[in-house]
Amino acid sequence: MPADALRFASPFSGPSTAGSSAKIQSSRGMTIDPQARASETELIREAQQGSRAAFDALVRQYDQAVLRLALHLTGSEQDAEDIHQEAFLKAYRYLGNFRFECSFYTWIYRIVTNLCLDLLRRRKSRREDQAVMIDASGEEMDLLNNVSDERASANPDRELSRKVLGERIRAALEQLTPRERMVFELKHFQGLKLRTIGEMLHTTEETAKNTLFRATRKLRANLAELR
Amino acid sequence: MTMKCETAHESIALAVYGELADDQRHQLEQHLTECDDCRRELEGVQALVKAMSLLPVEEPSANLVARTRLRLEEALDAMPRGGWVLRFSQQFSQGVNRLRSAPVAASALLIAGLTAGGYGGYRAGAHVHDAAQASLIMQAGQAKDGTDDGSDNGAANDPDNRTAGSRTAQIANVSSIVQEPGSKKVEVRYNRLVPESIRGSLADPDIQQLLLIGAQNRVNSDVRGNSVGLLAIGCRAGQCSDSAVRNALMVSLLYDNSPGVRLEALQGLQPYVGDDTKVRDAVLQSLMNDPDARVRTQAIGLLEPVQADSSVREVLHTIAAQDDNPQIRDVSQQVLNQVQQVQ
Repeated sequence: MPADALRFASPFSGPSTAGSSAKIQSSRGMTIDPQARASETELIREAQQGSRAAFDALVRQYDQAVLRLALHLTGSEQDAEDIHQEAFLKAYRYLGNFRFECSFYTWIYRIVTNLCLDLLRRRKSRREDQAVMIDASGEEMDLLNNVSDERASANPDRELSRKVLGERIRAALEQLTPRERMVFELKHFQGLKLRTIGEMLHTTEETAKNTLFRATRKLRANLAELR
Repeated sequence: MTMKCETAHESIALAVYGELADDQRHQLEQHLTECDDCRRELEGVQALVKAMSLLPVEEPSANLVARTRLRLEEALDAMPRGGWVLRFSQQFSQGVNRLRSAPVAASALLIAGLTAGGYGGYRAGAHVHDAAQASLIMQAGQAKDGTDDGSDNGAANDPDNRTAGSRTAQIANVSSIVQEPGSKKVEVRYNRLVPESIRGSLADPDIQQLLLIGAQNRVNSDVRGNSVGLLAIGCRAGQCSDSAVRNALMVSLLYDNSPGVRLEALQGLQPYVGDDTKVRDAVLQSLMNDPDARVRTQAIGLLEPVQADSSVREVLHTIAAQDDNPQIRDVSQQVLNQVQQVQ
């Protein structure tokens, strides 16, 4: 039944139902109209000349998006707060080096993704040091099947199992390399274009594509293992 | 088969995220109509995408946003004022970038080394200067004493009893007075400083020595110019086998403030460019760095006997390409051309 199989659009609008508002907001940051862009350029120049007010205005334009990304990626308010703080302090310090060669959006995200990658790497090495498996519960279930059936069955434990499943997914995501995790986060959860992601991570779109493919592959394997 | 399954799997992941080009998407659709495996792959990826919705992206709470903004503001307030910090870091990074080019760093190192060497040389020279001056004064004093003693011998046998009147003019200062215990005798130590003049031929070592000291006179540039000029004349006449004179001329060439003095020094060094590599290097150095075009032009002419030397050619190349003065660029290019013709 090829007709069914080819409905790409409907399934992949699925994941964004929860994060759709987030996507619209973050993409609004990318495709600002020319007037807004001009005023942003103005703000950046003023901030570069030392205006705190202009810098504060820039912060307000981006800080929610930064928090959203850091919060989802780290799963911890404390870490998200630290990343937010460090990112904007860095931006303040190095704003003079911003040469308008890329958009300010990409520039600030570059700083944030770098900080996030550092954090993920630190966490990963810590986990490897501990050498403890997170897989604690002995519950047996096929996660992927379970999700597919979820809407049909009126499960009384649905809320609970949602939570458990959420944990499992987080665990599966943590098995990815920091870079795979980052590309998957930016693509799947934040809805960015792979080209932008490549730019942010200082790599090509092609590499970003491969990384995304590897990430989806690993995730499926990891989630199947968790049965 | 329209495409390989391996490629199809990759395309599926991209298609699900709307990142597949239209033509590839068409190929994938074709492939899926005839490949069950890949259809299952598609379902798998779709299920994954769906499963991920269990980890929704949440908006940061208003509380969190407010808290982070406050924290950031406090941190920014605590930082030194942005204006100059920004400008400074900007300028610093630009400066570092400019410096990053290796040749500049290399020549900076060279210059630093030469400066250090030159300063060392100057210090050593200053010591020699002091010592030389002291010994000259001593000699002058002794010579005077000798004649005095000779004439006074009959009149007074005890030199301590000589009248101080003739000496007062020569006393610069009194350094110590010690009374011998139980007697009326006093020992006074004093320094004498006597303006003297000396006449002699240029070849006279004493005159040469004085000229060397004169070449280092920091205060009076006329004295410096004359000393260097006379030393240079001596050198051109082949009278300075002494390397001290050459060194003095090189120091003057590289470090004297007055272009006239530098020109004199350059002329004095002419006979030694061919044999003494130190002289050659000093002339090259002056050709590269001297601010005065006349000195640089003269330096090019001076290098004639060693034009074929590779270090000389290198410098000439640099000068031909980079000198501020078009005439000097031309001249060095001409010299280079000649060298190439000869070779």
